[in-house]
Amino acid sequence: MSHSMEYNKRLRRRHRADRRFKYYGMAAIAFALAFLAFFFVDIIGKAMPAFKQAYIQVDINYNDQVKDNYNRAITRNYRYLVSRSFLRTLPQKLVENPELLGTTEHTWVLASYRVDQYLKGHDGNGLKSKYRPHVDQMIADGKIELRFNTLFFTHGDSKMAETAGVLAAAVGSILVLLITMAVAVPIGVMTAIYLEEFAPDNRLTQALEVNINNLAAIPSILYGLLGLAIFINIVGVPRSSALAGGLTLALMTLPVIIITTRAALRSIPDSIRDAAYGLGASNLQTVWHHVLPLAFPGILTGSIIGLAQAMGETAPLLIVGMMAYIPEAPGSIFDATTVLPAQIYTWSSESIRAFEERTAAGILVLLTVLLSLNAVAVWLRNRTQKTW
Amino acid sequence: MTSSKNISIRDLKLWYKDAQALHGIDLEIEHNKVTAFIGPSGCGKSTLLRCLNRMNDRIPHCRTEGDILIDDKNIYDADIDVVQLRSRVGMVFQKPNPFPKTIYENVAYAPRIHGITSDGPKMDELVEYSLTRAGLWNEVKDKLQEPGTALSGGQQQRLCIARTIAVKPEIILMDEPCSALDPIATAKIEELIDELKKEFTIIIVTHSMQQAARVSDNTAFFYLGKLIEFGDTRDIFTKPKEQQTEDYITGRFG
Repeated sequence: MSHSMEYNKRLRRRHRADRRFKYYGMAAIAFALAFLAFFFVDIIGKAMPAFKQAYIQVDINYNDQVKDNYNRAITRNYRYLVSRSFLRTLPQKLVENPELLGTTEHTWVLASYRVDQYLKGHDGNGLKSKYRPHVDQMIADGKIELRFNTLFFTHGDSKMAETAGVLAAAVGSILVLLITMAVAVPIGVMTAIYLEEFAPDNRLTQALEVNINNLAAIPSILYGLLGLAIFINIVGVPRSSALAGGLTLALMTLPVIIITTRAALRSIPDSIRDAAYGLGASNLQTVWHHVLPLAFPGILTGSIIGLAQAMGETAPLLIVGMMAYIPEAPGSIFDATTVLPAQIYTWSSESIRAFEERTAAGILVLLTVLLSLNAVAVWLRNRTQKTW
Repeated sequence: MTSSKNISIRDLKLWYKDAQALHGIDLEIEHNKVTAFIGPSGCGKSTLLRCLNRMNDRIPHCRTEGDILIDDKNIYDADIDVVQLRSRVGMVFQKPNPFPKTIYENVAYAPRIHGITSDGPKMDELVEYSLTRAGLWNEVKDKLQEPGTALSGGQQQRLCIARTIAVKPEIILMDEPCSALDPIATAKIEELIDELKKEFTIIIVTHSMQQAARVSDNTAFFYLGKLIEFGDTRDIFTKPKEQQTEDYITGRFG
């Protein structure tokens, strides 16, 4: 090579800069991965105990006192060890099955959260020390055991940790998300198509564009105030309802969907539009037959990401009254409802230790739903993507 | 010899925002002839071409004055429907731009939206006819259901021509149709143009003077948004009247 020393030195320097940049990038990714790994290990580690729940084998005496005082169904030594949520159902059970009166049932029942926590080795809000030898003995005899916690998925919230579950919040989240989707996706996509493909480029549309971009950057809690003012105070949508929450989140998601849809439309090369217009296709035919099918994967991904963001949102729902104690899954979109993130927040502020693992388990459920949504987005995009 | 079949461009002016791109063009384009527009980049030849099927309507802040008469009717009149106009004035673009659909669909699309032919054996016939006229039938007849975008560049451009003639237009506009093609594909397109001029009035914008000399009957030379010279292609290339034309075709500028 006939290059000068100076040139070669420069060349080496350029290659070194290349390598350095690559290492910086790798370091940043390693850093992010480490955080992610820590987060997942921590959450999963904390959540795992919540998927097991303690059960205890006791005698239930269906005597005549039970109707007035359900505590009488269990002998004093065991009373404290059995879940109160279970005991409370006994008078009703006796009314429905009068033939049980005077009998004794030897069976497995849900243990109280204190026994559960003791079994899992936690001491916070623990078992009173006078019960401990007794419980230890029962464990040794196999009369207390941990089973898979189906209640967590089949029950709503409860003040008693052992029966608190995510069902009500999960149903609420689904309802809210469906409403958000039904409102925000069609309006957002239509708006974007109009602005991108039909609207003239003038002051008005430019002002609209700036405002839409700004709306996407507004703190989400303000949407809660807007939702409260419009939907609850003016329109009269019931407070805490899935409808109020869904509409509020739709307001918040709209700009995101509009922006991603416009980006998807803009990424379709103009040559396709030229081809269609050149053949005499009308504006609508051009968009409907040629542009939209190509932009569809991008629009879909954008919408799902917008909805996933809405699903994890808490602040605006706080304002429309969805941060509430809701033990029952809502039967309609007008019933009082809570959502998963709100449920997680409610549990995280409980003082009872047993709620900590439920908080983590709730986070895990929310993450699973969100990751599945994103996986669906990726799958749909790959399936609908056209190559040209 | 002003026949109504000709295209008459009268005192056409065009502005992109405040910049004037065409300065009063007067031009008579003959029926069933090939007319070439030549000139250096930015001279307005593509802009003028895109006026003829009003593709410039799509460009924001683009304003036109003057008349373009096709069949004695000004295409800038308010009662002209551009959708109908574009079915009479087809266009082939610089870069081959087949739809990302099957070869069959590419050709069948426009006849279908214009209601020229309904789907079925008649459409099959029209597709075969159009592809044959574009000299592509033998190459694609066994793969009509494959994507048009999988063809080579030259084949794609001929597919675009087939797509255009399927609508049975009177006029075909070609905006540098060979600039993205290799010499062999270019030769095929040029042969095709020669063949098509029996049926269609063809206007072709080209950067290649040899191409203009080879395929066109008449040539218009543009410079800085003005028509400098227009006439029989042989005359333009052998004995141009204007100094600027001579400078350009001899390669002194451009």
